[in-house]
Amino acid sequence: MSKILDPPDGRGVVVAADHGFMLGSIEGVEDLEGTLSRVVEGRPDAILLSPGQAARLNHLFRGRDAPALLVRADWTNAFRDKTYTLPARTVHRRAVAEARDAISLGASAIVTYYFMGHSDDEREAQNLRLMASFARQCDKMGLPLIVEPLPMGERVTGANFADLATAAVRIAAEAGADAIKAVYTGDVETFSSLVKAAGIPVLILGGAKAKTLRDALEIVDEALEAGAAGVVYGRQVLQASDPAQFVRSVRAIVHEGKTVLQVLNPVTGPVRLRVFPERCTRCRVCELICTSTHGQGFSPAAARLRVEFLGVDSYKPVTCTLCGQCIKACPTDALSFHPELHYVQLNPERCNGCMDCVQACPVKVVRFDEQRSLPIICDMCRGAPSCGLWCQPEAIVTERQKERKNDAA
Amino acid sequence: MQLENRGYAGAVLRINLKLGRTKVEQLEEDIARLLLGGKGLGSYLLYKTAPKGVDPLSPQNPLIFATGPLTGTLAPSSGRFCVVTKSPTTGTMNDSHCGGFFGPELKYAGFDAVVIEDSSDEPVYLLIKNGEAELQPANGVWGKTTVETETTLRKNLGEEYRVASIGPCGERCSPIAGILTDMRSAGRGGTGAVMGSKKLKAIAVKGSKPVGVHNQGKFEKMAWIAQRALRMNETTVRSLPEYGTANILMMINQTGALPTRNFQTGRFPEAEKISGETLRDTLWVRDIACMGCTIKCSKIAALKAEPYLGTKVDGPDYETLFSLGSNCGVGDTEAIAYTNHLCDLYGMDTISTGCIIAFTMELYEKGILTRKELGGVDAKWGSPGALVALTESIGKGVGAGNLLQWGVRNMSERLPGSEPFALHVKGLEVPGYEPRAAQGMGLGYAVSDRGGCHLRAYTAGTELCGYGGGADPKAYDQGKVQLAIDREDEKAVVDSAVICFFTLFGMRLKEVYQMIEPCTGFNYGSVRELKNLGARVVSLTRMFNVREGFERKDDTLPKRFLENPLPDGPAKGEVVHLEPMVQAYYELRGWDENGVPTSETLKSLQIDKILK
Repeated sequence: MSKILDPPDGRGVVVAADHGFMLGSIEGVEDLEGTLSRVVEGRPDAILLSPGQAARLNHLFRGRDAPALLVRADWTNAFRDKTYTLPARTVHRRAVAEARDAISLGASAIVTYYFMGHSDDEREAQNLRLMASFARQCDKMGLPLIVEPLPMGERVTGANFADLATAAVRIAAEAGADAIKAVYTGDVETFSSLVKAAGIPVLILGGAKAKTLRDALEIVDEALEAGAAGVVYGRQVLQASDPAQFVRSVRAIVHEGKTVLQVLNPVTGPVRLRVFPERCTRCRVCELICTSTHGQGFSPAAARLRVEFLGVDSYKPVTCTLCGQCIKACPTDALSFHPELHYVQLNPERCNGCMDCVQACPVKVVRFDEQRSLPIICDMCRGAPSCGLWCQPEAIVTERQKERKNDAA
Repeated sequence: MQLENRGYAGAVLRINLKLGRTKVEQLEEDIARLLLGGKGLGSYLLYKTAPKGVDPLSPQNPLIFATGPLTGTLAPSSGRFCVVTKSPTTGTMNDSHCGGFFGPELKYAGFDAVVIEDSSDEPVYLLIKNGEAELQPANGVWGKTTVETETTLRKNLGEEYRVASIGPCGERCSPIAGILTDMRSAGRGGTGAVMGSKKLKAIAVKGSKPVGVHNQGKFEKMAWIAQRALRMNETTVRSLPEYGTANILMMINQTGALPTRNFQTGRFPEAEKISGETLRDTLWVRDIACMGCTIKCSKIAALKAEPYLGTKVDGPDYETLFSLGSNCGVGDTEAIAYTNHLCDLYGMDTISTGCIIAFTMELYEKGILTRKELGGVDAKWGSPGALVALTESIGKGVGAGNLLQWGVRNMSERLPGSEPFALHVKGLEVPGYEPRAAQGMGLGYAVSDRGGCHLRAYTAGTELCGYGGGADPKAYDQGKVQLAIDREDEKAVVDSAVICFFTLFGMRLKEVYQMIEPCTGFNYGSVRELKNLGARVVSLTRMFNVREGFERKDDTLPKRFLENPLPDGPAKGEVVHLEPMVQAYYELRGWDENGVPTSETLKSLQIDKILK
């Protein structure tokens, strides 16, 4: 196992590239050798391949700094979903290689599935038998076994998923697995129980490609917090625009202890909001997160920005443009640009509640709090706007301010 | 402990239309904990308010608008509300759900629910603003379409108002009438007819009260985790956002489950023409979302063909493409989208409308209805002209519409020999999944609390689309029944929470559970216990239906599904094996052999406490 899990920290970054075996030539694995040679530049600890590709691409695993080789020892049709040319009607799983085949390929471990949740108990028993037979072979040959237990089948529900994942992990450990490749349950709390139940190293699997690097890295970070020993990422890496960079980013978190923010290095400091009207879907999440961030619960009527509806297919976010008109209009100098972060700041003690700023705002995003008799003005969340982070269609994007308009300040 | 700042507004508005009197009641904490809101709360209020055996179109039948603790928060796809009433279509309870922006606005105005009682002598609309409500004469909007009504009221009152209204179809109390807002519809079960019977044209609402939650920081984090789960799932991050619900249409056609020509077959030769992929390339110009939703399954279609040029419509979605498309044999997407638009204007359910027209086309084919009886319409399968003309006649209630507007069941009672082709369950027209090709859907239609509905026990995703590893669509064993129960319970939870059901394609009930606690402060202890809340709601709605006289013999399907084998596709030769599934369903639910929850079940689900 020490070849897969780096001895100093006991953690590993594994890249799974066995998708072609289950799904044929999907995006990212068409030219597997080309993709993997880029992946290797990012220095993953190990790469998972089907037996055939392991033989063909054996040269990638030679040399002192080369990754360890893991061999997929079983096949399944379970991932042929509705979008697949030939969707699976019932789920099947078959052994395709033995421990000794893997050893002759130079593998450091084999990886097999274990499914739990079929309505047919017989099928579930077959699943266990297959896993157990791999465990016996591996024991005899002294080869580590990594099991990938997955809730799968008609009896899996939204309510029992995390419990089932946890139970399946424990059963795999009892059957003789040396490490686990587990689905991330989605949050630290439930995943901690899974890791505890396993009692052996747990690596999380990546699943479908995340929409953003931030999501992918956040999950790695949370899994490690919950006690995971690392990741097995497949499509996340193979379909990344720069696979080597993706592996390096994951390594930074797994091996170098960096935070997601340190890796992503998001825009902070003096920022402005850039709006792309055509991307807006009118979901108004920006209004909701705005008041939530400012501790006012959920209250679009008090948001520091607004979504404008112009017609059935026309709407756009309207945000503070930092034009400074409100500052100019203020008769009591209650408003000014923040000296460092350059957002509009309010000095409530100076404000007389005249509402001139509300009138002056050319885009009508300055609102008025009747109860406190104070204007509500965008403060760019003091350098890290929530709306820019939460706007999923990226109709609002946080950007560094290019130049300062000091005339009003 | 107060429910305010725990996801709830904490208040229920009761308004008597006859007397114009309003009353604000506190939402009881016990009820909120046991039923959350939405469907659960609405069903409870219906049970308590409606007298036993009430005529759905009489003043004594209440019309209830309900939100849930997640409505109007950062929880994904939480911009919804539901309408609960005794359905004039089925005589059962009915909860119809609707997106847009109305639900959150109602909560910002200070109400978790509105119970509308009695009926007005003159047409009125209800104006709600920040904790206050009053009736206004509906002069100038009565008789108008939903879009005209909404536009007029918002122009007069202010654009910040959100308006839910009925169209001419609801005014005439047609059982296929829905309630519309923002071009979205609480379509099924005739909620619009109940509103029409009360002479209530619309509700306009505006609010600026914040909705607070129990633990803002934790809630925000859990909402982020839930949104992230949606971002990491293929269905919620790609399929639904790009192709809407029509993303599954080709798949459903391949599995032989796309109802075609009034459910004569499950395969539509022109499926590709009406697929999400084709619509994306041709008609759709913009993706739109309801409040708080990142899935944005709604699409705005801009029509280009000569007679429809300039029309813009939200849709068509999968169910509409089935009902107005394949089920009528129509492959002309412009005509389907235009018909969808007409349904929205007149305020009627697209599913029922399409099924009525498909039924009519089959009766025309069989010679039971003639061209003369249809006001001169040549109702041939696949005719876009007939589709539009018949829809128009239903919307206006003229010509063929005189007969058609009363729904499939009513038509079959009036037309001798038509009964074998009348596809409805308890009076509600059957939706877009051929049950012979997906046994679980057959069970779901038969036992659903509002008749032929696909959105109670939605097994189709698992049976036909392979979600979660899939299930054999032909199986009708206990495993399939359990699958149906699991789906039904989960659906009842999100319908009570209230968030969109589509979130469950990407996240799981666990994510809902993790948002509910910091939102409401209710600690259910486990996800399973929250799922059990869904089971409670399902048994509660069953208790209402039992009270209204429904029993085992009503939990059935049209003969076509039970006796006539499906002629083609992967499920060729299949019928629905309903009896063993219904029996197992009752047993697993803890209901007796007549479909009545046993006293032990009522006790263990604490329904006895609720109904006492």
